[in-house]
Amino acid sequence: MKRAAPVAKAPRFGEERGVQIVIDGLGKTYRREDRETEVIEGFSLEIRRGELISFVGPSGCGKTTLLKLIAGLIPPSSGAVYIDGRLCAEPGADRGMVFQDFALFPWRSVRKNVEFGLEVAGVPRADRRERAERYLRLVGLEKFADSRVSELSGGMKQRVAIARALVVGPDVILMDEPFGALDAQTRNIMQNQLTDILASTDQTIIFITHSVDEAIFLSDRVVVQTKRPMRIKEIVEIPWERPRDRSSMEFVELRKRILSELEKENVMDV
Amino acid sequence: MGCKAIGGRYDPGNRAHRLARSACVTTVSLAGLVLVWWFLSVAIDRQMLPSPPEVWDALADLFANGDSMTGRSAWTYIGSSFSTFIKGFLLAFAVAFPLGLALGYFNLLREFASPAFEVLRPIAPVAWAPVFVILFGYQIGPMMVVFVGIFFPLMTSVIFGVRKIEPNWTDAAKTLGASPLQIFCKVVVPASIPYLMNGVKVGLGIGWMCIVSAELYASPVGGIGFYISNQASAGYWPGVFSGIFLVGVLGIATVGAADYLHRSLSKRMGVDAS
Ligand SMILES: Nc1ncnc2c1ncn2[C@@H]1O[C@H](COP(=O)(O)OP(=O)(O)OP(=O)(O)O)[C@@H](O)[C@H]1O
Ligand SMILES: [Mg+2]
Repeated sequence: MKRAAPVAKAPRFGEERGVQIVIDGLGKTYRREDRETEVIEGFSLEIRRGELISFVGPSGCGKTTLLKLIAGLIPPSSGAVYIDGRLCAEPGADRGMVFQDFALFPWRSVRKNVEFGLEVAGVPRADRRERAERYLRLVGLEKFADSRVSELSGGMKQRVAIARALVVGPDVILMDEPFGALDAQTRNIMQNQLTDILASTDQTIIFITHSVDEAIFLSDRVVVQTKRPMRIKEIVEIPWERPRDRSSMEFVELRKRILSELEKENVMDV
Repeated sequence: MGCKAIGGRYDPGNRAHRLARSACVTTVSLAGLVLVWWFLSVAIDRQMLPSPPEVWDALADLFANGDSMTGRSAWTYIGSSFSTFIKGFLLAFAVAFPLGLALGYFNLLREFASPAFEVLRPIAPVAWAPVFVILFGYQIGPMMVVFVGIFFPLMTSVIFGVRKIEPNWTDAAKTLGASPLQIFCKVVVPASIPYLMNGVKVGLGIGWMCIVSAELYASPVGGIGFYISNQASAGYWPGVFSGIFLVGVLGIATVGAADYLHRSLSKRMGVDAS
């Protein structure tokens, strides 16, 4: 595994890290028959290596579209995305993605889902199994390695999807509302688990969420977006230690401020 | 409910109860069919419609002593029909599955192929029987009729399955580093298997209808279809009906097996069969 010297537990923000991802004047217009939808327009942003940056914005503002552009799954209408100076025009294993609806393969067992990326990379069977095992343990699903996907709860599916994306060791992980479908309690547990998982890895995380609370809890930076066409409304730096206390004054204040800003765009859930 | 005796109240969650119930229902339904038949045979009173006991005797005789006209045994007829059937099915499978995958995957190919297939599809497979029997001979001809019958439902299902694949599955595979060929082999093919099995289920039913009617044409080497037409030309109607009866029973068995296969495979592929 390519793992840099562990940055474990250190606050992600504030370290001297270079820019890893450059989003340069990105624009996307969907054309369907005679209708055009301009979803993203003149979007520029620099993302630092190893940071967790989250995007909050009203529903349908184009968050998933932005992630798919970064992943290279859809072509931009204008502008471009670069990782370490390379143009991201095609999808690749350097950018892992956790999909909004998990997108697990139902014909594969949990273990086989996690092994998929290693399998297509030609990793030998024994090695593959061992690495999948390690990540299943990381997300606490080692007991379910041989279960079918359809037998899992939403939260478990989510963790399989996270393990599947992490196991190939991507530089960047794109997470599309990974906890959106979970109840509040499971969601909190998952957020804590993600914080733990992230402490042991050095990946850059681009995280999309509807929940301002979740964004503040997890992120080094929160990007607040406008509604369609999506632009950046504000970027909030959060240089606090982890784990964070949701009931602290500063947490509550910040949440209130971001929420009121989003309310001007649309109604958001807390 | 006639099945109440078995373990008190009927519980749909209990496998034994479900089986017992469906056995009861099936028995009642089939008994009804036999009664209607019996009534009609008595009411109409023509020799072309023999009564159930006459047919039963003919059937028992066929199994015990073979066909007195040709000297062949019942199993020879059944085996001959089945082997034609299986060969036609395997051929259809071998052609329709890859072709369906390709046509589902490559839009341009499908666009060009669709009009041609749409013209051929509505033609009843048996309509080809006279042509095929002369073109391919008595051995291969009926098999080709079965092939045509199974080919279209199978190919249509596979095309449908490939086109219904969740775009997120292929997207996920791409972000995990899969090449187009790997996506095809590891996502498109497994994802379309439940649809393939649905096509197999439909195709086997149609194929079984084809085999008997094709054999009516392919007399000298035919199986059950030949037996039926031979008995009819001799004017021995209980024999005709024992052949028809065999066709029905074997048809149920075939479709039942296909249904079971469809269900268990769909379950294995993580998809609800419905
Ligand atoms: N393939 C497509 N073709 C046409 N329009 C699309 C397509 N995909 C998305 N859109 C439109 O683009 C807009 C943004 O979609 P997107 O999925 O990026 O929003 P989102 O911010 O992720 O929404 P949500 O928060 O509900 O997940 C929507 O109005 C949607 O209708
Ligand atoms: Mg979305």
